[in-house]
Amino acid sequence: MILTAQALRKQYPRGEQVFYAVDGVSLTLAAGEFVCLTGRSGCGKTTLLNILAGLLTPDAGSVSFAGQEYADLDDKALSRLRNTRLGYITQGQSLLANFTALQNVVLPYALRRRPGNPANRALALLEQMGLGSAAAQYPASLSGGEARRVAIARALLPEPELLIADEPTGDLDGETAAEIMRIFAAIAEQGTAVLMATHDTAAARYGSRILTMRAGRLVKVGGGRGAGT
Amino acid sequence: MDDRPYLTFSDLAFCNLKRRPVRTAGLIILVAIMSFVLFGGSLITYGLFNGTDALASRLGADLLIVPKGYDQTVEGILLRGEPSAFYMDGAWTEKIAAVEGVRAVSPQLFVASLNASCCAMPIQLIGFEQKTDFVIEPWIRTAYPGDLADGDIVVGGAVSGRVGEAIKFFDRDYRIAAKMEKTGTGFDASIFMNMASARAAAADYSAAGGTPLPAAGAVSSLAVTIDEGFTISGVTGGINSEFGYGSSGIVVVAAKTIVHSVAGGLRAIVTFSAALAALLWFVALLVLAVVFSVVINERKREFGVLRSLGATRRKLQALVFLEAGVVSLTGGGAGVFLAALIIIPFRAYIQDAAAMPYMQPSPGGFVAVTIACLLLSFAVGPLASLFSAVKIGRADAYAVIREGEA
Repeated sequence: MILTAQALRKQYPRGEQVFYAVDGVSLTLAAGEFVCLTGRSGCGKTTLLNILAGLLTPDAGSVSFAGQEYADLDDKALSRLRNTRLGYITQGQSLLANFTALQNVVLPYALRRRPGNPANRALALLEQMGLGSAAAQYPASLSGGEARRVAIARALLPEPELLIADEPTGDLDGETAAEIMRIFAAIAEQGTAVLMATHDTAAARYGSRILTMRAGRLVKVGGGRGAGT
Repeated sequence: MDDRPYLTFSDLAFCNLKRRPVRTAGLIILVAIMSFVLFGGSLITYGLFNGTDALASRLGADLLIVPKGYDQTVEGILLRGEPSAFYMDGAWTEKIAAVEGVRAVSPQLFVASLNASCCAMPIQLIGFEQKTDFVIEPWIRTAYPGDLADGDIVVGGAVSGRVGEAIKFFDRDYRIAAKMEKTGTGFDASIFMNMASARAAAADYSAAGGTPLPAAGAVSSLAVTIDEGFTISGVTGGINSEFGYGSSGIVVVAAKTIVHSVAGGLRAIVTFSAALAALLWFVALLVLAVVFSVVINERKREFGVLRSLGATRRKLQALVFLEAGVVSLTGGGAGVFLAALIIIPFRAYIQDAAAMPYMQPSPGGFVAVTIACLLLSFAVGPLASLFSAVKIGRADAYAVIREGEA
């Protein structure tokens, strides 16, 4: 398993009450799987994804990536994990406005130097996303769908073993959303595990597995593309 | 194969600064003004301290005795080289030498030139006795080891003319035997000669309508050193009681009071300069801290994205420090450069304006002041961003992303 989560719990105070954003969630993800996490807004999807990406520490439970427990990793090791093995696409606009599309894609390399020039691979990824001609453009001149595809290219640059995407089609039209979903499916077919949160049930159907959350709990585990066939 | 990274970590900082050119320029100008005042003030203060030190070591006497009413005038001659001529009876040399506690006495004769070829303004001529002098002679020996012949002169560092050339005073030629290094005192604008030459010049000066010499052996001032075991106030009191305070026609000036009067004025300048520089430093620190805090709040989303891409907390802090460092480095460097550009060429004007002994710092001193001021200027940016950097470093990545979405 590339990712294993056990009995995760995350709570927040809400007035005098305690609100469980994630409540006893366990899940596993294998290489090449495309798992969609669905549920209504506020059900805890983003909190769960942030815990799985190592950006948020759970109050209880454990997460391990390829056998490595997050609890055993310090900030530096977790950051290295996100920089080299785990691609994360945050909710909403995540491109840096003062950098071109190509510069945005190579950002992970600016944060941690590695041998070689990432520009060629970044260009190839942009071309793969149909954005080869937009490499020199700034985010302000890109459409929502184009910006999302640049963010996907950026997440794929380090050739991650796991790609986590939070509502990547949230503000896109149906056709563009379908195009993004086809990209994710292709990525999964190449061996990268994909975990995507969405409240769009049409988009969720592209996943090989669909997990449904309600009030911080996983309430339903069902088949996606494969289930109906 | 080109191994250079397409985008470096420092590019992130530079791009962020370029994104807001007006704000960045404003911050740089603020630091530049601060470092300009800091460096300029330090350089001028250093020069004034240098000048005062030079004056103290140049005076070399414990007491100066001048005709009554000329104690301020002698200060003007020593500090600023203001030309003046005043005389008293030469017999005072022996009278003062006989006072208990007086070790040595050496007379000087002051003559104010009229216009001369060397100088745009009248200049102070100072005659001294080479055999007895302990004020001017040891200093002049550093540039001219021999005895000054009649008609030979040694010129101060600020007097134009080369060794071997002649300067004409009152239609009489005087040959430049040596030229002194600058001292930052009134001696720089003075000309030194032996007593015989000075008496001839004084006679010429009187003939030309200047102050008449009262007698053949008249002198202008007496430099006095005291014996060990005696105090300056004790010997001053002895002179006054022996010859009558106020009625003798002479006045005793403690040489240190001249230095102290300079030091007093210097203290006021140093206090003002230091207070202004400190105030500007704190204002710059405060403004930068507020601006960086606002900027960091505006950029929470960006920091959240960088965290999601694998930036450590330290990396984000380094980014904040780097941006602040670039601002203070650029501003600090510009301020210091501009201050040096103005102060070094205009040091003569500054000296006149300060009306105090001023001597440009040595190259080593200049480098030390430059380094100290650059360090203080460079420190202001990272110090101002410390709070913001700590805040962003401690923030939970998830919270940063969520807050940035708001």
